Amino acid sequence: MDPILVEVLSNRLVSIVNEQQAALVRTAFSTVVRESEDLACGVFDARGRMVAQSLTGTPGHINAMATGVRHFLAAYPPETLRPGDVLLTNDPWQTSGQINDITVVTPVFAYGRVVAFFANTCHTADIGGRILSAESSEVFEEGLRLPIMKLFSGGEPNRDLLAIVRANVRTPDETVGDLYAQSACNDVGARSLVKLLDEFGLESIESLSDEIVSRSEQAMRAAIAELPDGTYTHESWSDGFDEPIRLAVAVTVAGDELTVDFAGSSPQSRYGINLVLNYTHAYASFATKAALAPDVPHNEGSFRPVRVTAPPGSILNCLEPAPVGTRHLIGHLLPGVIFQALAPVLPERLIVTGADATWLTIWRGAEEDGRPFSLTIFQSGGTGARATKDGLAATGFPSGVAGVPAEVIETLTPLVQHRRELRVDSGGTGRFRGGLGQVTEMACRSGLSWSVSTLIDRTRVAAGGFGGGGPGALGELSLSTGEPAQPKSVLRVAPDARVVLAPPGGGGYGSPRERDPEAVVADVVDGYISLDSARRDYGVAIEYVGAPDRIVRTPDLFQVDEDETRRLRAGAAGLLPTTAASVPQSSP
Amino acid sequence: MLRAGVDIGGTFTDLCVADGDATVGVGKTLTTPRDPSEAVETVLVETLGRIGAGLSDLELVVHGTTLVTNAIIERRGAQTALLTTQGFRDSIEIGREKRYELYDTLVELPRPLVPRHLRFDVPERTLADGSVAVALDEPYVERLATELAESGVEAVGISFLHSFTNPAHEERAREAVLRAAPELRVSLSSEVVPELREYERTSTTVANVYVQALVDRYLSDLSARLARRGFAGRLYVMLSSGGIATVETARRFPIRLLESGPAAGALAAAAFGRASGQADLLSFDMGGTTAKLCVVGDGAPLVAADFEVDRVYRLKRGSGLPVKLPVVDMIEIGVGGGSLAGVDALGLLKVGPRSAGAEPGPVCYARGGVQPTVTDADLVLGYLDPDFFLGGQMALDVEVARSAIERDVARLLGLSVEEAAWGIHTIVNENMANAARVHAVERGKDPAGLPVFAFGGAGPVHATGVARALGAAAVVAPRGAGVMSAFGFLTAPLSFDFVRSWRCELERADLDEVDRFLAQMEEEGVALLGEAGLGPEELTHDRFADIRYVGQGHEVRVPLPPGELRDVGELVERFEREYDRLYGRRGPRVPVEAITWRVVSSGPRPQLQSANGGAPAGSAPLRGTRRAWFPALGGYVETPVYDRYALEPGFRFEGPAVVEERESTLVVGPGDEASVLDDLSVRVEIGR
Repeated sequence: MDPILVEVLSNRLVSIVNEQQAALVRTAFSTVVRESEDLACGVFDARGRMVAQSLTGTPGHINAMATGVRHFLAAYPPETLRPGDVLLTNDPWQTSGQINDITVVTPVFAYGRVVAFFANTCHTADIGGRILSAESSEVFEEGLRLPIMKLFSGGEPNRDLLAIVRANVRTPDETVGDLYAQSACNDVGARSLVKLLDEFGLESIESLSDEIVSRSEQAMRAAIAELPDGTYTHESWSDGFDEPIRLAVAVTVAGDELTVDFAGSSPQSRYGINLVLNYTHAYASFATKAALAPDVPHNEGSFRPVRVTAPPGSILNCLEPAPVGTRHLIGHLLPGVIFQALAPVLPERLIVTGADATWLTIWRGAEEDGRPFSLTIFQSGGTGARATKDGLAATGFPSGVAGVPAEVIETLTPLVQHRRELRVDSGGTGRFRGGLGQVTEMACRSGLSWSVSTLIDRTRVAAGGFGGGGPGALGELSLSTGEPAQPKSVLRVAPDARVVLAPPGGGGYGSPRERDPEAVVADVVDGYISLDSARRDYGVAIEYVGAPDRIVRTPDLFQVDEDETRRLRAGAAGLLPTTAASVPQSSP
Repeated sequence: MLRAGVDIGGTFTDLCVADGDATVGVGKTLTTPRDPSEAVETVLVETLGRIGAGLSDLELVVHGTTLVTNAIIERRGAQTALLTTQGFRDSIEIGREKRYELYDTLVELPRPLVPRHLRFDVPERTLADGSVAVALDEPYVERLATELAESGVEAVGISFLHSFTNPAHEERAREAVLRAAPELRVSLSSEVVPELREYERTSTTVANVYVQALVDRYLSDLSARLARRGFAGRLYVMLSSGGIATVETARRFPIRLLESGPAAGALAAAAFGRASGQADLLSFDMGGTTAKLCVVGDGAPLVAADFEVDRVYRLKRGSGLPVKLPVVDMIEIGVGGGSLAGVDALGLLKVGPRSAGAEPGPVCYARGGVQPTVTDADLVLGYLDPDFFLGGQMALDVEVARSAIERDVARLLGLSVEEAAWGIHTIVNENMANAARVHAVERGKDPAGLPVFAFGGAGPVHATGVARALGAAAVVAPRGAGVMSAFGFLTAPLSFDFVRSWRCELERADLDEVDRFLAQMEEEGVALLGEAGLGPEELTHDRFADIRYVGQGHEVRVPLPPGELRDVGELVERFEREYDRLYGRRGPRVPVEAITWRVVSSGPRPQLQSANGGAPAGSAPLRGTRRAWFPALGGYVETPVYDRYALEPGFRFEGPAVVEERESTLVVGPGDEASVLDDLSVRVEIGR
């Protein structure tokens, strides 16, 4: 195929998938999809190979969807489908590893046969079972499991299925409303794809997908081949539920192929923090692409040279019926582990370990008149520093989900958010500072008791720094009443209590003593770091010379003691803060 | 009496002068960045002089400027502070907590206009229902204001949670600030953009007050300068929404001047379309570094409710500062004549988003450019005349362009130089068509049905290619493509947009209350436009509601029927019809709610003929022929070259052909049929 036509058509496919995603966000009902965009969209060829994905979304969904569509084809071979059919499943082992993620697949018909599939995966607001937490001990407790089946058949909704869903979930309008949105957006994509075939006189996209897939594969191989052969290892820890979870990786580069092996990681847990291999694969392939070839399109081809393995029965390749509800808390840590393993050979694109796991909380209670409410919120801590710049404050990585505005929270529910601000000194110290975490505080004004399920990590094991950089601050969860609060559980909250959630900071890069003193002063002026930290960690002696009761503290009121700074920086070489060794702290 | 439209762009200040409904003069001069009003004076004096008139003959000057956009991009605004609800001073930094690009670990987020040390928590709290949970600490605000003024702060944005529901605390905080420091400028979020979502509202409010002093000073300079030259007419300012407003309104809401120049280009397209009976079209403006596309429907550009300024990453959505305001709904992409071409890791040809800019510019300018650009490809293909670029002011070097394309593209892809140049030309067209398609589809329009209205230096060169890629039937290329924005200013009505957040389930809505505030908003329109001398009988008020299914987060804008609202069923039906058109199916059976109510008050729309800049020259239309590359004809063919200034209405010709004018060249492809319309624009029917 003419390379110029390939470029033209592949751009066209990406633009069609973006249309699909725009329609999904605009028609969705749950805040999870419409505000936080916990979703993925993609187009697949008739053989079920992913050819293009939307530009934003969630890596875990995108890549798990890529492998998941094969199961749909196996269950419903193309010749058994007809126009107007729409399929779905939320089977964790077949798709993205969590019963709350529903994948909807729509075949596209042209010339009387299936020419492609549009698929999307969205986190649903509720799917029944226990409230999403790590407390289940089997997947059966986690909600209604839907094997691959028809959501629409020949354009008619599967009323039995919808009735079962409605009867089993706490938020029937949102859950079913999102299923309609997931179907509508696939239609929008299909409409444009059929036009494209017509315009270019194509009878299928198979030869185009061959081109895109093989070119992406070659580019990915070329990027891998640039790395020196060898095995690169790293070990890191997650808080776990009751005990820390070991995440061990060995990345082996052999010519133009790469293997990511997680042997040595902890065995599967009796709590819902386990990953299916599909999901492990999703985040491992995200990391290798972001590290080696961010500009190569993500599709079947870019996966091919990367093999991902984990021992069956381990936390990263769990077996049925393991509970999997909060698998993202460990999945989101995997890119950081891989980046750290590759650090010696990745000077420029290195990103230090950050908060990593998106903090997901589910808030439940009742309005004053007794009507129940349920709301899912995502929050992000800081990213790790980069090799050339600071980390990003309160921004998701690797996940691409967004937060929910306080005004949206308070308009939909009786919840009141009293605070949402950056955490001073929470970024790991370093030549380049880790991104700051944030601190938020929630109350409920209905006067009734309420609850929150906190799916959070890094409250015990911090994000380590790199090359002399300090660790990010630990995440914090507390109640204003002082009662103990166990992460990854459902917390019952007294009517007048407040819940404080403070997502962690990211790790720093390089020795803080090498940070440009002017940048240290600017950080102090803006309150990203304290005067104490400037002196203790960065070796920069700064004095605030304004009146003690002044509110407005402009840069001219901060003075650097040059001599003292020189002394601190020269004499303190032996007192460098140690890089946080990623060692688990004692179990609670 | 004469009317003048003046557009201050980054490089040029353009002028269009009208008498009644006829354009009588156009002019262009270099922009004077230090005092932009200087170039306005220069171009007015020169151009009016040429037609034997002076500034005292002007009854109206409509003016647009990139001042606001540039001030934000270059961070040249006032020293600004922000007052927020206790606990929320970081909302403009925390933003939406997400990256706009998944795989690039080196992305940066947009930098807020107010640094953290000038953002302050204020003890106060209003809840979602408008009730007050914590009273405003006014003495604290006074103390804060005193210190701010002492510290050299000039401007203060105030954005409290839920102020769009109950603005009392913001208003009282402003009084407190002004009691303590009357010299500070203050903007309230409840006045600038009374809508839900604190990050976007606060960002907009800050931007408004950040540029206010600059705009104020600039408008004073301009008024004084024009007055000295004898101008005694009215001075109006173009808004981003496509309406115009008095100088007083512009001073209160300067952020509404954002992107007013490009908006006017789309207005010009709409005006041409109305004049030629084409109410729906795609406005396509392509210059040196970016292309802007806009859907025109029912004779007016579509207007969106938000915008991003200063995008830091490849013009990508999410990488800029959000600004919520009514803005002509354009998509801007980083593709222009200066876009660089090369081969990527996949062995595929890529064009843009990096650009050679004006310096060093394309290789063929011979000013030090090395990597081939779109203009180089257009030159090699014979679409541009090396001896008649910018009317012959600048000679282009074809040979260096050829060797750059050979080296950086053709050899790597195993193509001939011409095939590679054609690839560059085609991929640029495709990229623009893709952007236009997503843009149009998201708005429920089928781009294939829209004629492409092309202007800007590179627009006519690529228009038929873009039209082919979109499946559009025709291209319309006006004369005077270089001063379209200035022309557009003169076609805009006086107008202003009012917004009110009022959430209600339609089935249970208190329609009397809705009628009451809609009427109140219309009265505000009457008062505001009355300041400009318009009587109530001259105004029209278009009313809209943003409606969605209960539980959704995004709305569909639905026009309201005139008169009092009585029939809820009709409102719901209007919504569902629009929803079905956009998304191909109606939603599930759940109630429907309205979130935001809008009134656009407008004066009469001025009538204006084209910006043709003079009658046909009377000379022979065919200037000669030159070789141009058309793959459909097997490669280079001798192609007729027409002189744009000699084309008479009714003249017809077939492609392949090129039509040359000073600012641009129109390429007519093989099989296309072109004809000259009464307003001297050329209409090309695309051959299939």
